[in-house]
Amino acid sequence: MLFLPELTILGAGLALFAVSLGQFQPRTVKNITAYVLLISLVTTICSIGNNGTMFFGAFKVDLFTQIIKSIVVLGTFIIMLFSNPDAGVKKGTQPEYYLFMLMSVFGLMMLVSANELLAIFVSLELSSFTVYLMVAMRKNDTGALVNGTAQDSTGHGHAGIFCQTGQGMQSEAAMKYLLYGITASGLMLFGMSYIYGLTGSTELPVLAPALAKIFPAPVAVVAVLLILAGFFYKVALFPMQFWVPDVYEGAGNEATAFIATVPKVVGIALLIRIASLIPASGQEVTWVLGSCAVISMFYGNLAALVQKDMKRLLGYSGIAHAGFALLSVAMLGLYGFAIAMYYIIGYLLMTLACFLVICTLSRNGSNLQVSDMAGLYKRAPLLAITLACALFALAGIPPFVGFMGKFMVMVEVLHKGYLVFVVLATINTAIAIYYYLSIVRQAWCTDDKERPAATPSLLVNAAAFFLLITIIAMGVFANPVVNTLAAALSTTFS
Amino acid sequence: MIEDYLVLSVILFCIGILGVISRRNVFTVLMSIELMLNAANLAFVAFARLNETMDGQILAMMVIAVAAAEAALGLAVIILLHRQKGRLDSNVFSLLKG
Repeated sequence: MLFLPELTILGAGLALFAVSLGQFQPRTVKNITAYVLLISLVTTICSIGNNGTMFFGAFKVDLFTQIIKSIVVLGTFIIMLFSNPDAGVKKGTQPEYYLFMLMSVFGLMMLVSANELLAIFVSLELSSFTVYLMVAMRKNDTGALVNGTAQDSTGHGHAGIFCQTGQGMQSEAAMKYLLYGITASGLMLFGMSYIYGLTGSTELPVLAPALAKIFPAPVAVVAVLLILAGFFYKVALFPMQFWVPDVYEGAGNEATAFIATVPKVVGIALLIRIASLIPASGQEVTWVLGSCAVISMFYGNLAALVQKDMKRLLGYSGIAHAGFALLSVAMLGLYGFAIAMYYIIGYLLMTLACFLVICTLSRNGSNLQVSDMAGLYKRAPLLAITLACALFALAGIPPFVGFMGKFMVMVEVLHKGYLVFVVLATINTAIAIYYYLSIVRQAWCTDDKERPAATPSLLVNAAAFFLLITIIAMGVFANPVVNTLAAALSTTFS
Repeated sequence: MIEDYLVLSVILFCIGILGVISRRNVFTVLMSIELMLNAANLAFVAFARLNETMDGQILAMMVIAVAAAEAALGLAVIILLHRQKGRLDSNVFSLLKG
């Protein structure tokens, strides 16, 4: 049963479609979704170790794809554990929201296994289209602060004034997400057409050797870079990152938690798959990708310095982190690919921990400012510890997973002899520490009388514990994890 | 000849990109994106002829289907945006500042 994990997700989507026809309490719908995700998590983990192809070679199952699928489903399940019952969407539309989320997960799982250009394109679109709708479904009456940073910069208004979000913030975000998304897929499609023209095939195993033969030709380089652009959009890397802050701010907290984490893991996996088409001697591609990575880091980190909205800040920090993962992919070696995968899985855990805190603290689904973290250590000690660990990890402080990821990326880049990139990446690590630790300072070193104490439920506490332990464990046992990923990747590409 | 089709597809693609970058109206941007997708379609079909395989033509058909879905989605979000704002210039995208 190679297709079983996808089938369970598809069945879950059908079940939610049936639920959407009736009238159910939001909590019931959430519980149903959580249970079906648990079932598909079990089936996905059980499917690790399967091997084979389906659909005439267009769908490939091996160790690597099943590990990534397990992480995709696990990440979605954790989001379900800590999301509020109404998931920040309009009353009565929860079943549709979860249906779209599950279809997006289905698209991502197909995307990991896709072994053919057409399958890659269609599953990428499936996973994107549903997410556009998730953004647009945010409820109106969240009472969020409308764009405190922009008001600050123009001198009108000031942070801390709460007003209604009703004026279309979410549909504007969805529109931007959609327009940038389709443009990116147009670029990718054009690249695919040239790859097909050059090699005469759409199957990755067939076209890889054909492409390697003609590789230094400019048209092949441009075509591969155009395909990569589609995934740059998914992972939010430099030329394709403009949607990030607005979509993060305009989308609901739970939807942002999904957008910020799960698709990025798959995006890096696909970046690796496309980058593996390039022969290792492809110096010029390494320079192009490395430059994009370094610009992403600078852009993300410098813009994050001045952010006051938590989600915008995490969005910019996500751009910077994607830059680190791309730098590792740009080395075009098996070990570099494995480190990129390790890095982005660590990023998923750290960001999920941050969004766990945001979703739990947020009142009625509103956006949180950095100042809302004040006095968190008294209001909710476990959340404060989770937030501190996640931010220390994001900043790259040992022994957490973020430090080991950054360290291994830099060692790998140094091995390949790109000293410039190492120096620039190190400067970025130093810049990033400032804004991460200023949130920790808000949470631990200030007192607050007005904001109420938060009482996370048992499940949220369990999820927080799980994330804390995995963030530390993946940092401590970095080597076995990277070696496992490298072994899995080597079976994929052989 | 094949070169003519490819040149045409590159020209269409460039017009599409220019439209996405320079136009303010949401509908025009959507149409420009359609132009980009169709430029890719043209290249696929031309290459299918060149390579004498059917893969390219099948891909073009799938892209047309996906583009229809994308237009439906885009129009749905545009209606939502219009209800909440009343205008459709990209200039009204001012609530959120990138």
